[in-house]
Amino acid sequence: MSNAAAVYDLKPWTQHYGDAIAKELLPARHAHLAQFLRAAEARYAQQIAFTTCMPNGMHGSLTYGQVAQHSDAFAVYLREIAGLKAGARVAVQMPNSLAYPVVAFGVLKAGCVLVNTNPQYTPTEMACQFKDSGAQVLVIVDMFANHLAQILEQTAITRVIVVQVSQFFSAIPRGVIRVVMKYWNRTLPAITVPHMRLETALAEGAAAMQSLAIDVAAYTRDQGADSLAALQYTGGTTGVSKGAMLTHGNLLSNLDQALAMGCSRFEDGKEIVLTALPLYHIFAFTFNLLCFYAIGARNILVPSPRPIQNLQRAFDNYKITWVSGVNTLFNALMNEEWFTMFPPQHLKAAVAGGAALQHAVAERWQRITGIRIAEGYGLTETSPVVCFNPMGEARGLQKPDSIGIPVPGTEVRLVDESGNPVALGEPGELIVRGPQVISGYWNRPDETAKTLKDGWLYTGDIAVMDADGYFKIVDRKKDMILVSGFNVYPNEIEDTIAQMDEVLEVGVIGVPDESSGEAVRAYVVPLAAGLTEEAVRTHCRKHLTDYKVPKTIEIRRELPKTPIGKILRRELRAEYERGIRQT
Amino acid sequence: MLTDTETRLLGIMMMVIMLGMGASLTFNDFRIALRKPAGIGIGIVTTYVLTPILGWTLATALQLPAPWAVGLILMACLPGGTTSNIFNYFSKGVLSLSILMTIVSTLIAVVMVPITLGIFTAGIEGEWKIPPATVAQVLFVLLVPTLIGVLLRKWNPNVGATLELVGGALGIVVILFLIVSWVPRNHQLLAATPWQVYFGAIGLGVFGFVVGYAFARLVRQDKRRARTIALEMGIQNGPLGVLIVLLTFKGEMQQQVLLVPVLYSLFIVLTSSVLTVWFRRITKREEQSRDRAKIGALVV
Repeated sequence: MSNAAAVYDLKPWTQHYGDAIAKELLPARHAHLAQFLRAAEARYAQQIAFTTCMPNGMHGSLTYGQVAQHSDAFAVYLREIAGLKAGARVAVQMPNSLAYPVVAFGVLKAGCVLVNTNPQYTPTEMACQFKDSGAQVLVIVDMFANHLAQILEQTAITRVIVVQVSQFFSAIPRGVIRVVMKYWNRTLPAITVPHMRLETALAEGAAAMQSLAIDVAAYTRDQGADSLAALQYTGGTTGVSKGAMLTHGNLLSNLDQALAMGCSRFEDGKEIVLTALPLYHIFAFTFNLLCFYAIGARNILVPSPRPIQNLQRAFDNYKITWVSGVNTLFNALMNEEWFTMFPPQHLKAAVAGGAALQHAVAERWQRITGIRIAEGYGLTETSPVVCFNPMGEARGLQKPDSIGIPVPGTEVRLVDESGNPVALGEPGELIVRGPQVISGYWNRPDETAKTLKDGWLYTGDIAVMDADGYFKIVDRKKDMILVSGFNVYPNEIEDTIAQMDEVLEVGVIGVPDESSGEAVRAYVVPLAAGLTEEAVRTHCRKHLTDYKVPKTIEIRRELPKTPIGKILRRELRAEYERGIRQT
Repeated sequence: MLTDTETRLLGIMMMVIMLGMGASLTFNDFRIALRKPAGIGIGIVTTYVLTPILGWTLATALQLPAPWAVGLILMACLPGGTTSNIFNYFSKGVLSLSILMTIVSTLIAVVMVPITLGIFTAGIEGEWKIPPATVAQVLFVLLVPTLIGVLLRKWNPNVGATLELVGGALGIVVILFLIVSWVPRNHQLLAATPWQVYFGAIGLGVFGFVVGYAFARLVRQDKRRARTIALEMGIQNGPLGVLIVLLTFKGEMQQQVLLVPVLYSLFIVLTSSVLTVWFRRITKREEQSRDRAKIGALVV
């Protein structure tokens, strides 16, 4: 072992685990997710597990017992009536709603593989993902089922099951929501392909379970930690959409790892977590869905956090204790009067992931709510949590602007271009090895070989570690801008510009430049009209060295974003190149 | 003239409308409202200064006889209706401002309506005057369902949200109810009604829109807020006016005074609809990403 490697391999961060967090990860308590789900469902049967809260406050709930019953029925439907075998892929495409846990858990209990799909995908993107995964059954929300007509034939899908956002609501609110969606918003298109409603599938499953005297647990008896649980599609580091193969072992380990980091703020059976991020995304899937299911929490599901006012009734009506989000979500909340004037009273913790948390946002959040946002770091390929700020009470445990320390059982190194560890304090690419790391991409040995080497996953993120073992993400390797030979990290510039009171959001990219090779270009969304490029430039000059100051600044109304609200620099670059070509 | 049953039915509908209005609010909304003197100030000035002056001016300029003048001034003195919130929904106005103005004007109506009504009907013969006590009573009674609505929403958000929608829609149903039950029985009266009455009844709404917009721009509200304020000022609580007349006058007198409130209620739906379509188009054009889909975003 070289000296440089020793710096990381001695795991200096474990000293901050304290008494609450075990130094090493204990073996998983359950053989697979179905067993894990059943344990929680038996333990908390009478408690409310999920509540969907609509923007107008209408809501519906399911208890742990009801989720167990419906998801069992759905598992039986998949195996006995749809005729799927263990390991068959089931695509699930819906926004947050009560149907999501029922369907997703049903898939896992059937021993099948969950293929999470973004409901806002275009037909082309859907076809691509369905074909690649080989999904045989699709569960889709009615709002987007009209896309199926043109693509279904190209796929292996034999059955389509349609769900509603208001699924499992009581009759009157459900009826009202459907009338509003159908005649007012006109978001319920006609579905032209053969399909079945979820209620019917559940009824058929329940009937079969009784008449055939089926033991649902038998479906997963042969499964173990290495069995495939989900295909989670990601553009990842290379931009090509591919399915990360998440095993039961990956997800169960990561669930335990995340629980360990937050253990001091979890009260068994008492938490109420706000899930505004989509469950089809890995962050909310593992963190909000699985972790909080493990501790008997009540999960408040919001179908869409856009516009941000959609969250108002959820905050009004429920005593939210935990909230997870991304930088843009926290930022948007703090621009709402109802939120800043009456911040949630019962909040115990807020966690951020998905994209860098800006310093200004973190500070304002703490000022308004009294709670410090704990920032973490992860990727689809790591189920997702790699690092987190520990949530103990001791001072200094949570470091601002840091993604925290690796979770138990995880090895992290920072390496240079040739894969050699860099010295302490030097920036290097973060690589990770641990039980949460995938073994590869679905049918993509080439992509797997590029990303995974000797069990180490190359994240493509540049980070630095301090002597305490805390990490800071400097930026994406690919986003780094080379200005006259100097490395400029867009995160730093974005962070600086975001400190201006007049700025709502900002995205920074590098563009080709004749004199400096590359130049910094900033896209700024103002809070109100009146912000000028000159004002932004003056602010940057005050806080940044010359070569970091954006050469060009564009004031605009919107930035391209991913479904969870990460600003898409890739899109900004593509847009810029298109513009150049045209002129 | 309306039968007793119809009057009672109207009273009940009014209760549901107010329940719905209450259900659209939380105590936090009130507290936020109180911290916004600009919105409150504009609400009070448009509802209890500008609109009554407009009503009185129209009645005087058109030289309306007492029963019609009282009807018109009564309409002008009333608070904004929940219907205005619905039209603001559709026209993509600033909904919170619309609700705020409606709340503020309704809450202080118990005091303000009797006062303004007293001032602006001072020149009218005694027998046609509406006793301030009656008005205060009706308004006070209506505050009770409003408060119950607030509590219902707190108790069960499903009930609250349903009431909010039902109450809002009922405002329009009441007007349809008037069209169906009152207009056919009174077509001769309508044919014999002089143009001045039509002008007054329609003009209260139309000039209300214009004055509201001009005033809002004068006190430096942006264009979108100004459009919201315009709708808010033009749209008065029509069903409430009808109810007060029904409870105050009997027989032939009731028939005569009722004419303006009914005509106003019928025409305001038409003029507001036209305005809403137009405003919606303007707002859509101006719309920024931030406030997109204020109504369209029930999901995703």
